[in-house]
Amino acid sequence: MSILLQLLLRSLETGAIYALATLGIIIVFRTNLMINFAQGVMGMFGAYIVTVMFQKVLYAGATASGMAQTPALLLSILAGVVGAILIGFIVDIVIIRRTKKVAGTGKEIITLGMMMIFLGITPMIFGVDPMRLPKVIESGEFSILGANLSYNSLLNIVLGIGLTVLLFVVLQKTKLGLAIRTTASNERTARLMGVPTKWVTLFAWALALVLGTLAGVMIAPSTSVTLNLMDSVQVNAFIACVLGGFQTFYGPVIGAYIIAIANNLLAYYVSSVWGTQILYVLVIIFIVFKPVGLIGKKITKKV
Amino acid sequence: MEKKKTFSMNYYLRYLLFGVVMSLLPVLTNAGVIKTSWLGIIGGTIIYTIAGLGLNLLLGWSGLISLGTAGFMGMGAYISAYVTGDLGLPWELGILLSVVIPLVFGILIGLASLRMEGLYLGIVTLCVSEVLRKTFDELEPVTGGFSGKQAKYPKLLGIFELDQKGTFILLVVIMVLLMMLTYNLANGQLGRALHAMRGSQVAAQAMGVSLLKYRLIAFSLATAYASLSGALYVHFIRFVYPSTWTLPVSLVIMALIVIGGLRSVFGTFIGALIVYAMPDLVLKNIPVIGDINGLSYVLSGVLIILVVLFYPGGVINLFYKLQSLFTGKRSAERAVETAAGVEENRTEEGHE
Repeated sequence: MSILLQLLLRSLETGAIYALATLGIIIVFRTNLMINFAQGVMGMFGAYIVTVMFQKVLYAGATASGMAQTPALLLSILAGVVGAILIGFIVDIVIIRRTKKVAGTGKEIITLGMMMIFLGITPMIFGVDPMRLPKVIESGEFSILGANLSYNSLLNIVLGIGLTVLLFVVLQKTKLGLAIRTTASNERTARLMGVPTKWVTLFAWALALVLGTLAGVMIAPSTSVTLNLMDSVQVNAFIACVLGGFQTFYGPVIGAYIIAIANNLLAYYVSSVWGTQILYVLVIIFIVFKPVGLIGKKITKKV
Repeated sequence: MEKKKTFSMNYYLRYLLFGVVMSLLPVLTNAGVIKTSWLGIIGGTIIYTIAGLGLNLLLGWSGLISLGTAGFMGMGAYISAYVTGDLGLPWELGILLSVVIPLVFGILIGLASLRMEGLYLGIVTLCVSEVLRKTFDELEPVTGGFSGKQAKYPKLLGIFELDQKGTFILLVVIMVLLMMLTYNLANGQLGRALHAMRGSQVAAQAMGVSLLKYRLIAFSLATAYASLSGALYVHFIRFVYPSTWTLPVSLVIMALIVIGGLRSVFGTFIGALIVYAMPDLVLKNIPVIGDINGLSYVLSGVLIILVVLFYPGGVINLFYKLQSLFTGKRSAERAVETAAGVEENRTEEGHE
């Protein structure tokens, strides 16, 4: 029982990371009608900003002035979030606004181009050496019903669920959320109704970058910050989107948690080596039988 | 419309001539005109071209997106390495098996693809590729795990032991044959059916184009090309690691067909030259900026975006434009075709 609980808690933590990355993909998809293949590398770029700010700038200053590590890290994360917002603005203004006329898969191919640009400029700016990013809460853990949980994992879980809930409240209750939902429903009609869709897409890209960066910061302590930091997160986030269906905001989040939980359970109870492959094959089979995902609606096509 | 086949219009001769020119490269290295390292780079370009031709049939002609190219290339590479190395069977059998086994998977994906729309398909193929890549890591008896696997240059018919130059010429021969095959397929009944499918699936079905049949054919062809290129890769580079076959390889192959020109056979090669060979052959030799890490990635990324935004026909259209400047007539059968492509995409978008 305690093992199962332990697994579930760990899944909630990875699920939180996947959920943030997934939300980044889905908010861009709903407002721009394009799947952002660059979401992972954008998060990676944001994580690099945070890490470099921390390692090269703030940490040195913090140790010199006898300050603790945590405020320096929090400041770096803040800097990363600001950087992510700015990059989101740049991406939207420089590239995405010009893609309105691009038909079919052209938009996705453009995001692949953006992915390559990010993969190229990251080593140019930040160097090729892997870097380390510490946890926000360095140590300490507690146990519930025999399952151990570190305070940092608890923070990640709370952050993941909290941000998701906050985003849904914004989407449902505020004017901005209404604008986003209108744009998601039909961009042209939204524009006719006076919704400033340009600002909506601008916001969507900035938000996607911020969510990606936070996901990157959350996963970075368990590995090292390299170009491949977000690879598996991105693949899992895409699969979560497909599993949950692209038509709603909440479907993919549910998908993200399902993927995380199923992955950990399969790895522990079935096979630590083949668990992930089994999960992916199961997802593919699921999609074959339910092509629109868990919560998706079938869109009838006009001829 | 019946066309008179003059020399320049005869595609077989064009491809043959292209092949002869390419096979002269090893001779040129012997004479010391070009560096030996160029052979490796151009050989890699040829391998990418072959995979690109397959993806072009899928993405270009049929409009189906696939992100699984890398997985199938790796699969072909490992099967060929295993069959020729561990089992000691002849090279030809290795190539055959490394095409046939992935083909089964390709057909399965083709079947699954009938159930899903555009981007879902892209992500499902990505999923397949990830499953394959993780399998390369774990299936140590066959793949050698993380330490990778070695292979030898091919031994044709059990008699002719090839060296690097021989293998290079073999690559050229296979590429030219595949270019002819692709050209014929794309301009025959299959190509027309795929065109119709890309334009509108419902309309294609109404015209009697079987979605099942042509999607299966498109996916099997793409898989076969990809796994063949993987098998050639392992015999040309002579080692293979699981970490090679990640998403960026699929992306690079997609990038090269977009940059070179969707639905263009020569365009695929030109795209491969720009994306794969140019960074090594040209950029590295330019002082100062040649040493910057990741420049080639940025360049391909920018090129992809520029081509999609401003030049949907790809780089190959530049050549057609130049050609029509010299011949004085608007010989651009392609230009008309891409214009039609844009038109039909627009109407499609209008309906959504």
